[in-house]
Amino acid sequence: MRPCSVTQWTNLHQSESLAQAFPSCTPRFSSARDTKGVPDMANSLKANVRLMAKDEIREEKEEAKEIDDTLEEPTEEEEEEDEEERKARAAAEEAAARERAAQRQHMTVEELVQTERNYLKHLQLCTVTIHSNLQKLQPPPPNLENMFQNIDEVMDVSSRLLSLLDQAQTHHSDPKYLETLCESFLSLSQDIEMAYKEYLANYNNITSLENSYKQKEALWAEMVRTIKSSAPDVNASTLSFFLVMPVQRIARYPLLLQTIQKHTDPQHPAYLILEHAAHTAVQINCRINEYKRFREVADKYKKTENLTIKDKINRLSGHSIAKKTARLSQYIKHETGMVPKLKDEEFDALAGFFFVLERGVSELHANMEAYLHYLQRFLSCSPEEADLDLEGEKTALFSKEITVALRQWIYPSYENRLKTLVFKPLCSLQELMAGPRNLIRKRQDKLLDYELIEEKSNLNFDEQAIANTYKTMNTLLLTELPQFNGKALQLLWATLEAFSCLQRDLAADMEQLATSFTHQLPHSYLETGEFWKWAETSVLEGSRRMESLCQSVQDELNAPIVQAPNPICEQRLKALTAKHGSEKIYQLTGPVVGTRDLDLTLSKGELVAVVSEMDTRGDRRRWLVDAGGPRGYVPASKLTRYHQLTVDPPQSPHLNVMPTGPGPRRHSYTPGAQPLPTIVTTPCFQVYAGYDFMARSGQELSLRAGEPVRVVEPHDKRGNKEWSLVEARGKRGYVPSNYLAILPSVIASPTFPYR
Amino acid sequence: MSWIPFKIGQPRKQIVSKTVERDFEREYEKLQKLEEQTKKLHKDMKKSTEADLAMSKAAVKISGDLLSNPLCEQDQAFLESMNALDTAMKRMDAFNQEKVNQIQKTVIDPLKKYSSVFPSLNMAVKRREQALQDYKRLQSKVEKYEEKEKTGPIMVKLHQAREELKPVREDFEAKNKQLLDEMPKFYNSRIDYFQPSFEALIRAQVAYFTEMHNIFTELTDQIDQGGLTDEQRKQENEAKLNELRALSIVADD
Repeated sequence: MRPCSVTQWTNLHQSESLAQAFPSCTPRFSSARDTKGVPDMANSLKANVRLMAKDEIREEKEEAKEIDDTLEEPTEEEEEEDEEERKARAAAEEAAARERAAQRQHMTVEELVQTERNYLKHLQLCTVTIHSNLQKLQPPPPNLENMFQNIDEVMDVSSRLLSLLDQAQTHHSDPKYLETLCESFLSLSQDIEMAYKEYLANYNNITSLENSYKQKEALWAEMVRTIKSSAPDVNASTLSFFLVMPVQRIARYPLLLQTIQKHTDPQHPAYLILEHAAHTAVQINCRINEYKRFREVADKYKKTENLTIKDKINRLSGHSIAKKTARLSQYIKHETGMVPKLKDEEFDALAGFFFVLERGVSELHANMEAYLHYLQRFLSCSPEEADLDLEGEKTALFSKEITVALRQWIYPSYENRLKTLVFKPLCSLQELMAGPRNLIRKRQDKLLDYELIEEKSNLNFDEQAIANTYKTMNTLLLTELPQFNGKALQLLWATLEAFSCLQRDLAADMEQLATSFTHQLPHSYLETGEFWKWAETSVLEGSRRMESLCQSVQDELNAPIVQAPNPICEQRLKALTAKHGSEKIYQLTGPVVGTRDLDLTLSKGELVAVVSEMDTRGDRRRWLVDAGGPRGYVPASKLTRYHQLTVDPPQSPHLNVMPTGPGPRRHSYTPGAQPLPTIVTTPCFQVYAGYDFMARSGQELSLRAGEPVRVVEPHDKRGNKEWSLVEARGKRGYVPSNYLAILPSVIASPTFPYR
Repeated sequence: MSWIPFKIGQPRKQIVSKTVERDFEREYEKLQKLEEQTKKLHKDMKKSTEADLAMSKAAVKISGDLLSNPLCEQDQAFLESMNALDTAMKRMDAFNQEKVNQIQKTVIDPLKKYSSVFPSLNMAVKRREQALQDYKRLQSKVEKYEEKEKTGPIMVKLHQAREELKPVREDFEAKNKQLLDEMPKFYNSRIDYFQPSFEALIRAQVAYFTEMHNIFTELTDQIDQGGLTDEQRKQENEAKLNELRALSIVADD
């Protein structure tokens, strides 16, 4: 039985040809996604790095807008177009998804048919070729015919199914084919059930017969050789390799049909019949299971004259047990608070036994209820549904088959039997306990009354009545309690027997199914100890790979923010580093807008030096920073340590051009060993004002951003390089040096090489 | 993108080709679906093994309580059987615990580990999107400036804008490429990653149910006479209950 090839499945995922047919535009990032999947990461990242929410993006856009007023708004036309485009794209994506589902469905349908053919072929190979070759052995294996009982019916029904499909003469990509498939299956379902029922009921005999062959080394070696030579293309070394196939096949139908159903649109014309077929397949398995149980018992019936324990119990009556009275009367006192009377020894023994039994039954009932509760919880999970898109993977497929069988008929029928043969009888028995219990209590009450009048010789009418009531009750209980006790005990016993039997049957079913796959697993050759060592090692390796993948993604995320390397930044970095030390340098991860006094307004990527990690009121969320001129507060959440990869920014005022090529992520100020391209060596520079500047005294000069200036002296009268004396618009004055931009003078042409 | 109501116009040329965008989206969707399934499978497996353990413990309680019932002291036969039942349950519980441990190590933990990669990937995709937005914004800016008169201040701004754009563009392209590389690789890695888990799951179950089968075959042979079908058992139970009901002491007056 070969599953569909893995390549076929992987090709489906990469069906480029399909995708090409459907255009789409911008990516969809629904807002629901934004908030999902962030928690762990957010914690593990530095507290300073935060997701940019939509609002922040908008904020930044609006800031960008403020910087330059001359930008336009999108026209209404453009917005409408977007809307239409989006709808078209959504429709196209849906169509593509439907296409993919249809393909999957076709593949599964094809798989069902193809595997059926292979299955039949293998069975025929086994029953014809291998069988006859084995018969030729000298001496032939004993009882060989028994290995091949019932298989003819199985092969017959399989070939009938295939011929029905072939007769239909529709291709399996035709939607009608699915209908034909389901109809054929349903029409044959009774025969399928009949054939497989007998086969599976008899299967244990096959395995035990093969085991008996395995005991005889010489014979077994011959048999293996014959099998291998008869079927050179198949990797088989036992007969059960072939003979287990029907066991697997019948369990496979539900899974195959359900998989087809999963990929079928409910609007498909054949959907209803498909649903029916899948359901029928499960029912067939349930009934086969029941029949198997029935046959097991009928076959194994042992007539034995030895007194089994059960017989011993059956011979007990409450009477004989009651003879051992001492402990039981203590029991009454303990559990019921009633004081046993010495002279009523016999009664007390009976009552004692009753109470002990009652406790046993009610405990068992409660425990069984709890057991059933957990069983139902167990069944309520459906791990087989999340198949991680591994439908083509052999091992995953086997595991899924086992899980489906476990949850859809093996355990449910166990639960059913448990309820019918164990729990319900216990419930009924517990209810019946109420009667005798009450009666015993009533008798006790009557006894008290009776004791008061017992000694009297002459009893009046009422007193006579009391005496009679007591005596009647007492006699009734004395007569019937032993019967009750005995029968109740037998019933209790029956439920326990059934419980044990059910466990055995459950285990037998699961063992048979799970074991049928073992020799097809890749590491079946490993002994148990070896296997678990291998498994644990593989898991560890996988875990390491995931960790390193996580790490590399995180490293990417934590990399410093890219920004244009410009001389202003370099100067500021140099100045701040010199003044505060490189450990204090931080970078803004997003723009900040100052709202209070002493708050700074800075843009994303700007470098600052941290002066204090809290404000004057001790709030650690506001840090005092030096922005290379202005000083003030920014939110700590917007700051991240800036790791300088090189301490020396480039010396020359040459334009720092970025190297080309993919390579690893570049950060600003990449390590020194990079080739400076040969362009841009014009000695001609023009200094401009990079930002607006408001003069605050007569010494200073106001500038507008973009204004060309001439640097007279790059320092002030005291030599402080933070201020430069510049000339602009015919006037002179001081401006902050880091507000100046030095640019090559030839910048008009767009062909200026930036790379 | 009309979900961001920012006023800056769209860049004139399409920055990312539709094909590339669609490929990206498709790969990401696959990953999102895989994430969902991995999480669900993890949850289900956890719930299922918890219930499994609880079931086993409940079974041990069944036999334990029966063994401690005074009925056992009354009767040797009963005691022997309850002992056998209790031993069987305890052994089954021990094997079950072992099975669950194996499954925990080889299936449930790996599932969790695999899931833990998704937040990082999701974050990386978000960052790519942010980079794309930045890229588009700056590209737009550059284009606006390029269309204007070439005056000094404009040229300065144009130049600055170009300078700003370059690293941002490269950043986006690097992120885009990395993700387009990594996403399918990660998606396909699930095959090799989970193969040991599935094989281990099967083998753990085989080992457990084989033991369980042996244990309970032994027990049933000891305490059950056998030879009864379900129908027969039902009938016997019903008969017994009727006999009980026929007793006068049972009818409550």
